[in-house]
Amino acid sequence: MSRNAIRLFTIITLAVCLGASCEAKHLAVIVEKNSSVGSLSSADLLKVFKFDRPKWPDGKNIILVMRDPSTPEMQTAINALYHMEPGAFRSLLASHNKTVIIATSEDDLLKSVAAIPGAVGLVDVYSITEHVKVVRIDGKLPLEQGYPLKGR
Amino acid sequence: MLRLTIRSLLFQATLAIAYLRRYLVIFCCLTFSVSMFASSQAPASASDPGITVTTSSPEARELFAAGLARCQTLHLREGFQLWRKAAQVDPDFALVHILLSNFSPDPAERVSEREKALVARKHASVEEQLVIDWLSNSSTGHLVPAIQAMNTALEQNKNHKMVVWLAGMWLDEQHQWARAAQMYEQAIQLDPTFGDAWNSLAYCYARSGDYDKASAAMQRYMQLLPDQANPHDTYAEILLMAGKFDEAIAEYRTALKLDPGFVDSQRGIADTLSVMGEETRARKEYADAIARVNDKVEGVRWSLLVAITYVREGDLTAADTAFRNVAQQAHENGLGNVEAEAYRDMALYQRKNLAAGAALDQAEAAMGHNHRAPQSLRDAELASIMRTRVERAVQDGDLKLAANSLKPLEALSAGTIDGGIHLLYESAAGALALSQKKYDVAISHLSDNDADPLSLLHLLQAYEQSGRSTEAQSVATRLAALNAPTIDQAVIVPGFRKAQLAAKHASPGSGSR
Repeated sequence: MSRNAIRLFTIITLAVCLGASCEAKHLAVIVEKNSSVGSLSSADLLKVFKFDRPKWPDGKNIILVMRDPSTPEMQTAINALYHMEPGAFRSLLASHNKTVIIATSEDDLLKSVAAIPGAVGLVDVYSITEHVKVVRIDGKLPLEQGYPLKGR
Repeated sequence: MLRLTIRSLLFQATLAIAYLRRYLVIFCCLTFSVSMFASSQAPASASDPGITVTTSSPEARELFAAGLARCQTLHLREGFQLWRKAAQVDPDFALVHILLSNFSPDPAERVSEREKALVARKHASVEEQLVIDWLSNSSTGHLVPAIQAMNTALEQNKNHKMVVWLAGMWLDEQHQWARAAQMYEQAIQLDPTFGDAWNSLAYCYARSGDYDKASAAMQRYMQLLPDQANPHDTYAEILLMAGKFDEAIAEYRTALKLDPGFVDSQRGIADTLSVMGEETRARKEYADAIARVNDKVEGVRWSLLVAITYVREGDLTAADTAFRNVAQQAHENGLGNVEAEAYRDMALYQRKNLAAGAALDQAEAAMGHNHRAPQSLRDAELASIMRTRVERAVQDGDLKLAANSLKPLEALSAGTIDGGIHLLYESAAGALALSQKKYDVAISHLSDNDADPLSLLHLLQAYEQSGRSTEAQSVATRLAALNAPTIDQAVIVPGFRKAQLAAKHASPGSGSR
């Protein structure tokens, strides 16, 4: 049997044991409503989320607010943004624990970003409220053609 | 009965079926507005704050109410007329303007009414303003502020079942099945007898692949409307999606027993037989359904389904003949979009590149004929043709042609708010990226399309090639489980299932006993 056949068989065998949900996810990058940050390039976004940039241009400290890495939103983020294995991602977070908040729910994440000056979060776009501001990435908002932060 | 009425509205008004799904949402939104108004007339309780309907004119309020009542009984055209009169009597009646702008079958009216709603917004209540912000932003393609307004409306009206219900329908339209299901569940908690919420919840579960929950929800819906054919027809459709073919046929027959004129169920039996592989029987049932359907457009479109049965049989010569006959029939009836679709369908299964290219040329030529069709529908079909051109070029290994064919589709997609056209572009761009071995790019493009067999197949390949087996497994499950009487399903899914079986038999330890 060829390697491709083995791979396909493995997929098929495991597939029957898994759920079939295939909904797309677009992640919104959100900041507090009065933040001066309105847009970021993909390169700058990566710097922010890889802790390579500690402050915003207005001098505020950057605080990352995220869900637990095991949540679907963060799985999408890890794939689309970090390009890391989950273990490496957890190590990265652990080494920057003073500038990261792990939110217990989407609601918690939204409230934290809305309340903390300098906070920036990643959330499923369908959760956003008017209490936060959505940042454009490379000039695009979530759900627009060419928006980079999406996956399943 | 719901589907028949919507179809009547849609086909007679626009000669198009492509918007059927949109109009299902429209109907449900009408249901929302009816109940919303009813709430505004009843004394508000602490647990059901309702939504204030703002108009200075008692006559406009009455016309609005009468229009809602007509819409509630599915007399949509009469309802629209009454709403239009209400808007004339009180030009500042913001809510009626935004409802007309979102639900009118006339694209020009949709635009003008949206503008009137925005002008009149300042006269509306806070709740109405949120609905205006939500729906107007959505209709202009500004989805981020639309979502923000929707979630704020939900925060402020969390105990109002109709706001929750409207959010469910809107999320449904965005393919956010899990979130939509949460909304329907919330609506049902507020009112366990909310039949339409049960119905939509069942569809959501089915689209997510959770057929057990879908069946349970449908059982509740049927209990609420025991003498109606439509719940049985809907349940049969879900059973067909689930691959429970015999049960689906039984439910369709029950629907026909309750209402022998419910010809959709006759077609549903044919659909089921076709997906089962019983093509001769399917054609007989289709012929009966076509003979009985009282709608010219529907009859021609159902003839496309007949042609697909030959593709399933592998009799491509007969399929060509059948598709050409449908194209001719569509042409004679002035249905340019259907004519183009027939040729485009042919391109999907042709074994020779030249034949596929010729079919696509004929599809494009059909779009140029002097047929009456709204521009939005013409654009949608044109985008489908362009997408098929890219897919065929990729399949033929001509990546230069694929890239060149993608450009006009990209331009068309960038210039529209039509989500269907965006999906077609993403599918085509994903196919090209996959062929260029740009797997992450392909995944990004293909992730939005969760119901198109070819996109799912490409997505599966992209996940496999990039070593993401868990995601590949999930997509494989979804692809193999697709049961629909469409040309895409006929061309992709049976072959994929055969490959699955072959792989299973070829695996170590899988020998027969």
